[in-house]
Amino acid sequence: MVRGSLQGIDSWREPLTRPAFAAHKRANARLRGLWCGSISPRERGEVKRCGGIGTVDFPIDLLLNALVAGLLLGAFYAAVTVGVSISFGILDIVNIAHPGFIILGSYIAYIINTRLGVDPIVASIIMLPAFYALGALVYQVYYASFEKYGQESLRGLAFFFGLLFVTEVTLILVFGVDYRYVEAAYIGPSLHFGVVDLPLRMLVPCLVALALFGALQLFLSRTFIGRAIMAVAQDQLALQLMGASPMRIKRIAFAISIATASIAGALLIIIQPVEPSVGREYIGRVFAICVFGGLGSLPGALIGAMLLGIIESFTSTFYGPSWSPAVAFGFLLLTLAFRPAGLFGR
Amino acid sequence: MRSWLFFLICTAVAAAVFGLARLTGNDYVFFAGYVVLQYVVLATAWNILGGYTGYVNFGSAAFFALGAYSSVFFHKFYPLPIPLLIVIGGVVSGIVGFGMGYLTLRLRGAFFAIATLALAVVLQTLIVNWTYVGGSRGAYVIRPDSVPVIGNYVHYLFLLMLALAVIAIVTARTIEHSRLGYGFAAIRDDELAAEASGVPTLRLKLIATTISGALMGMAGAPFPYYLGYVQPTSAFALDYAVNSIAMPMIGGTTSWVGPLVGALLLGSLQQIATVTISSAVNLLIVGLLIVDCVIIAPKGIIGLVQERRTQGTVVADPAVFALLYLINVIPLYFLHQEALSARPLEIIFWGILVYLAYMRGGLAGRRSLAMLPVAGTIVSFVPGPAWLWLVVVALNIAGLACGLLLKPQGSARLAPVARSGAP
Repeated sequence: MVRGSLQGIDSWREPLTRPAFAAHKRANARLRGLWCGSISPRERGEVKRCGGIGTVDFPIDLLLNALVAGLLLGAFYAAVTVGVSISFGILDIVNIAHPGFIILGSYIAYIINTRLGVDPIVASIIMLPAFYALGALVYQVYYASFEKYGQESLRGLAFFFGLLFVTEVTLILVFGVDYRYVEAAYIGPSLHFGVVDLPLRMLVPCLVALALFGALQLFLSRTFIGRAIMAVAQDQLALQLMGASPMRIKRIAFAISIATASIAGALLIIIQPVEPSVGREYIGRVFAICVFGGLGSLPGALIGAMLLGIIESFTSTFYGPSWSPAVAFGFLLLTLAFRPAGLFGR
Repeated sequence: MRSWLFFLICTAVAAAVFGLARLTGNDYVFFAGYVVLQYVVLATAWNILGGYTGYVNFGSAAFFALGAYSSVFFHKFYPLPIPLLIVIGGVVSGIVGFGMGYLTLRLRGAFFAIATLALAVVLQTLIVNWTYVGGSRGAYVIRPDSVPVIGNYVHYLFLLMLALAVIAIVTARTIEHSRLGYGFAAIRDDELAAEASGVPTLRLKLIATTISGALMGMAGAPFPYYLGYVQPTSAFALDYAVNSIAMPMIGGTTSWVGPLVGALLLGSLQQIATVTISSAVNLLIVGLLIVDCVIIAPKGIIGLVQERRTQGTVVADPAVFALLYLINVIPLYFLHQEALSARPLEIIFWGILVYLAYMRGGLAGRRSLAMLPVAGTIVSFVPGPAWLWLVVVALNIAGLACGLLLKPQGSARLAPVARSGAP
C-alpha cells in the first residue's frame, strides 16, 4: 500500500502508537458524548433511560446541556462557514473546496504543534499570510480560466470539486489515513456551572470563532476595502465606475476567505482528531449554514451556524446521533424549497 | 441516423464486446468491466441533467444507492429476478428524481447543487437508520453461483450492465436529437430567454431529473448482487458523485459521446490504478484530470478532437501556469515511489507538463521551454541510481521557474475578454 511505502521518510508521518490511539479513542468517545449533548457518562446513561422527549420527568439539565453544546458547536461551525460565507455569499464563487483547505489548515497546525510545540491557534495565526497567498493564487486561476469568460457556473464548480479531491488525496498520500490530534493545555479540562458542563476544548474554539467573526464583520463594515467587498456583491459595474478594480477587490476577499480556513482548521483539530476525508462531512454543512442564514450576510451565517448546531445537538440528544444529519439537511431542503433567499437573505 | 439503426449498431457493438470478453476467458475482465460500464451508465445519466440542461447534480450517489437499496429491500421481501429489480430500482429513483425536481424547481445554479447534496445526506441518514435493509451494518445478499444460459454470475451481471449502458446511450442520443433535447439546450444556454420564448422549462426540467434519476437507479440496482454485500458508506460513496461529474466533464458534456469516452477512459484508468497502486491514487487522478480538463480543454476530449485546439492562451496568466504545473507534479512524485507497473500512468502527467511548458513558451516565442519537462520525462524513465530523481526534480523546478520568468509577447491579443454579464 502507498502508506506503507511512505512511512519512515519523515518522523511526523509515523502513525499513532497504541496508547496514543487508545487516548484518541477516549477523546473521540468524549466528543461523541458532547455530540449527544451529555458530557459525563452519568448523563449519557440518563439519555438511555429517559428514552425520548415524551417521558414523564423532563430532563431539564439534559436540555440545558444540549443547548450549550449546540451553541458551542454552532460557534465552531460558524468559523468553518465564514470563509464560504464570503466566497459563496458575497463573491458568488462556489468554493466547494473550502473544507479541503480547512483540513490542510488542520494538518499544518498539527505539524507545527508536534514539531515545535506551538499552540495550534497561534500556529494557525502565523500561517495566515501563507493561506492568504494561496487564496490569491486560486482566485487568480479561477478568474483567468473561468470568470473572465463568464463560464464560471459548471466548470468553476467542477474545478473546485477537483481541487478538493487533489488536496484530500495528497494529504492521504503524505500522512496516511490515521487520525491526528494536537496537544494543548485546554484540551481535557472543563468548567462547571451548576448542571451545565463547559468543556474547554469546545469553549476555546467557540471564543476564537466569535473573535474571528467580530473582526471580519468590523473589517467588512468599517474599512474601505471591506466596504468595497460588500459593494462587489451588490453592483460590480457601479464599483468599476467608482474607479476600483472589481477583480482586485474580489481577489482580496477570496484570499481572506481562504485565510480563515487556516484558523478554522486549527479549531477543527482541537475539537476532534482529524484525518484527510473528515472534510467531506463539512461540505454539506457549510453550504447548509450559508443558505440557512442567507447569502451575503455574516451575522446571518452566525445565526444559521448556531441554529444548525442546536438542531444537531438536540436531535442527537433526544433521538440519537445517527439522525442528526437528516434533521439538519431536512431543514435545509425545506429552507431551499420555501425560502430560497435564506432566513436573513439579502 | 435513425434511432432504431443506432440502437441496432449499439447492440451489435455490445454483443461484440461481450463476445470478446468471453474469448479472453478471464473473469477479472468481467469484474472490472462491470464497474466501467456502471460508470458509463452513471455518467450518461448525469449528463442528461448536468450536460444538457446545465443543472449540476451532486447527489448521483443517492440515486445510485436508492437503486441498490430497493434491490436489497425486494430481495428480502421476495426474491425477484434482477432485470425486474433493475426496473423497480429505476422507477423508485425516477420517482425520487421527480420529487427532487419538483422541490427544487425554483433553484438555479449552485443552489440546485446544494439541494442535491442535502438530499443525498438525508437519504443516507434514512437508510442508516432503517434496520430492515441492514442499517449502518449493511446487508448481505446471497447470490447464486451461476445462471442457466450464461453460466458464471459475474458474466450475467456484466451482460446486464452492458444492456443498461446501451439503453442509457440510446436514450441520451434520442433525447439529444429530439424536441426535448433542443428544449434542454435552450434551458442550459439561457433559462430566462427559453421561458420567454415559450419553452416549458418547468416540465422539461422535471423530465430531465426523472430520466436522469431513473437511469442512475437502474445502474445501482444490480450493485448488491455484484459484491454480495452493501452498506450505506459504500453505496453512498462520494466516488460515485465525483466520477459521474468528472467523466462527462473530461469527455465533453454537449453530446452522448463525451460521457461514454470519459467513462471508458477514466473508468479503465481507475481500474488500472486501483490494481497497480491503490484506490487513493485513482481519486487523485480523477481530481487532477478534472482540474486540468476544465482549464485547458473546456469542451472535454470531444472538443479537443473536433476543434483540434485547446484553450492554450489561458496559461498566459502566470498563476494558472504555476498552479497547473505544481499540482501536476504531485502525482509524478507519488507514482514514482511505486513499482514500475505504475509508470505508464506517469506519461499522462508528463504529457500535461510538456504541454503547459510548450504553450507557455509559445506565448514568449520560446517553445524550447518544453525541452525541460521532456528531458525530465526521459531522465525519469532511465533506470539508474536514486540521485537521478534529483535531476528530474531540478528539471521540473527549472521548467516552472523559466515559465514564470518568461514575459509573454504581444499581450494585446491576450487581453481579457470583456464580460458581457454586466447588468
